Amino acid sequence: MSTALKDMIRNPTVAELELVARYAALKADARRERLFEAFAQTGLPGRRIEGWRWTDFKAALTSLDAPKVATARDPLARDGVATLRFTPSGYAAPKALPAGLKLLAKDDVQAMGGAEDAPLGALAAALSGGRTPATLLVDVSAGVPVHLHMVFEGPGAINAARVVFLLRPGAELHLSESHLGGAALSASLIEFTLNKDARLNRTVYQIGGAGEAQAITALIEQDAGAESVQTVLAFGAKVARIETRLVHRESGSKATLNAAYLAGAGLQADITTHVRHGAPSCITGQVTKGAVLDGGRGVFQGKFHVPRTAGQQTDASMQHKALLLEEGAEVFAKPELEILADDVQCAHGNTSGALDAAQLFYLRQRGIPLVQARALLTEAFIAEALEGAGALEEALRAEASAWLNHAA
Amino acid sequence: MLKIENLSATVGEGEDAKTILNGLSLAVPTGEVHAIMGPNGAGKSTLSYVLTGREGYAVTGGTATLNGADMLALEPEARAAAGLFLSFQYPVEIPGVPVMTFVRTAMNAQRKARGEAEISAPDFIKKSREIAKVLSLDPEMLKRPVNVGFSGGEKKRLEIYQMMMLEPRFMVLDETDSGLDIDALRTVAEGVNALRAPSRGMLVITHYQRLLDYIKPDKVHVLAKGRIIKTGGPDLAHRLEAEGYDGVLAEAV
Ligand SMILES: Nc1ncnc2c1ncn2[C@@H]1O[C@H](COP(=O)(O)OP(=O)(O)OP(=O)(O)O)[C@@H](O)[C@H]1O
Ligand SMILES: [Mg+2]
Repeated sequence: MSTALKDMIRNPTVAELELVARYAALKADARRERLFEAFAQTGLPGRRIEGWRWTDFKAALTSLDAPKVATARDPLARDGVATLRFTPSGYAAPKALPAGLKLLAKDDVQAMGGAEDAPLGALAAALSGGRTPATLLVDVSAGVPVHLHMVFEGPGAINAARVVFLLRPGAELHLSESHLGGAALSASLIEFTLNKDARLNRTVYQIGGAGEAQAITALIEQDAGAESVQTVLAFGAKVARIETRLVHRESGSKATLNAAYLAGAGLQADITTHVRHGAPSCITGQVTKGAVLDGGRGVFQGKFHVPRTAGQQTDASMQHKALLLEEGAEVFAKPELEILADDVQCAHGNTSGALDAAQLFYLRQRGIPLVQARALLTEAFIAEALEGAGALEEALRAEASAWLNHAA
Repeated sequence: MLKIENLSATVGEGEDAKTILNGLSLAVPTGEVHAIMGPNGAGKSTLSYVLTGREGYAVTGGTATLNGADMLALEPEARAAAGLFLSFQYPVEIPGVPVMTFVRTAMNAQRKARGEAEISAPDFIKKSREIAKVLSLDPEMLKRPVNVGFSGGEKKRLEIYQMMMLEPRFMVLDETDSGLDIDALRTVAEGVNALRAPSRGMLVITHYQRLLDYIKPDKVHVLAKGRIIKTGGPDLAHRLEAEGYDGVLAEAV
């Protein structure tokens, strides 16, 4: 390794040196270099870096040795839905694709706007390539609604993937993603451009082991009248970050960003969102619900940025509610509203606490055992966050319920 | 038989601990219905909570058994499975959990604890329909989350619906009459009376004689300052209604 490469990250850890080596082994590309440099500015982000105080990848990822755990089952897999599979050793797509969907696997790296703000997104982009496409372009045209499923899983050191969606004017995409872990580091960058009146329904299921790090970064840009509905169910990993950065860039665009996280002992789930109301009369609604057990950690960081002129007539609401199911559970929350426009409607709420003792007793008095009572109440508590998943809501609820009745 | 002997209990912790039940003794033989009356703050609801195992109370002495089983040693859900049911003075709202889901979960949990088979969905629905009819409950109400947005009277009727669904062996009714209109009082009393059986016992906590006109008790107890200070027949309730507690309490001391 050349000194220049080694010096990219200051005081690198073993894992960071491995990332540098991995980068060096990929085909040289000016854009790739730019992306890796954007990552290298921070290195693996950790507690010293703004926005990563509670989600320390640097400390968690000591090496890139593949963890020895079986990959989780995929509850969102459905027959008849085109499925793209990303593993550390390759990429697979079906031959027959639904009407309105075009794939273009590119060898060269695409530029990424705002790479410095999303270091692990930049890393995912910089390390994509080799056995997988450097960039997978997905073109969705109007006509019929398009259904697509993506799976990220499998054993190995690194599972890096980058997918760039273009939703043409009036197109409608129902996308489900299962991030099942298996690699020491799974990093994916998924970008969406929603043209005028395009619709995106995105459902993200994340689960990972206590020896894995996962970073799922999404960048969404919406034109006039576009609408996105995102639903996340996250079970965490040693560290897991599900980050969504969304820009309303033309008026009348609408976004719903909901998430539920359930974190057991030794696991951490981080839901981070950043929404910029870059055009007037846009709507953002956000509901995040979490439940955490002893030894688990939940993180919610939400930011709405509403600029002075561009952001007029913004309608935005942000709710985060967490349940500490046991003593020793940790939840960190940082809701931020940066509102510079004056004609806006903005609401936010942030609470965390234990289950209601009176409710628990009422259920137990009727004969429902403590664990089941807790599960029933918690499932009802998080339900609101899963409502937007449409046909997948039941599958998500079933996973949450199973977890609550067994792990909790 | 429900048998309570010399039961004492406190609320609060450490220096703040306050004795609420103070050597209370009471026996309700299987097949009988007893009423408890007593001034506000006497400890009636506390008794119902200590019996059913609510957190926050410490039993400092005495025993409570149902058909010989030590209730105080069991978790609340095990007491319920043993057949103990409380109709709450203040029923609790459970957002997001529909009544039918709740009661079916409870019924099957109790059955499982007793080693019985689960009730089938059609059987459950049939039973629920019949009971809703007896209690003049709108079936739509049973699809709504438990007690959420229910009126005071509706909540009380829903307690009795649950009781009739679960068919407990011993029932404690804590001021089930409060909040009910005149017609609802009669309907609810009919539901309660339908559960009267040689194999069941009942403890009815009330402030008013009127309920006892419908649910005729075998005995009436007066609870004051954490203990039973007087026991009599149904006529004792009439005397209390006429003379108030002052007269009866003065005589007891
Ligand atoms: N958690 C508590 N902390 C402090 N005091 C309590 C607590 N629970 C009950 N008490 C007190 O215990 C006493 C008995 O209360 P309880 O609710 O049992 O009375 P009650 O006989 O049911 O009265 P009512 O007829 O008004 O329903 C009251 O003085 C009440 O304030
Ligand atoms: Mg009371």
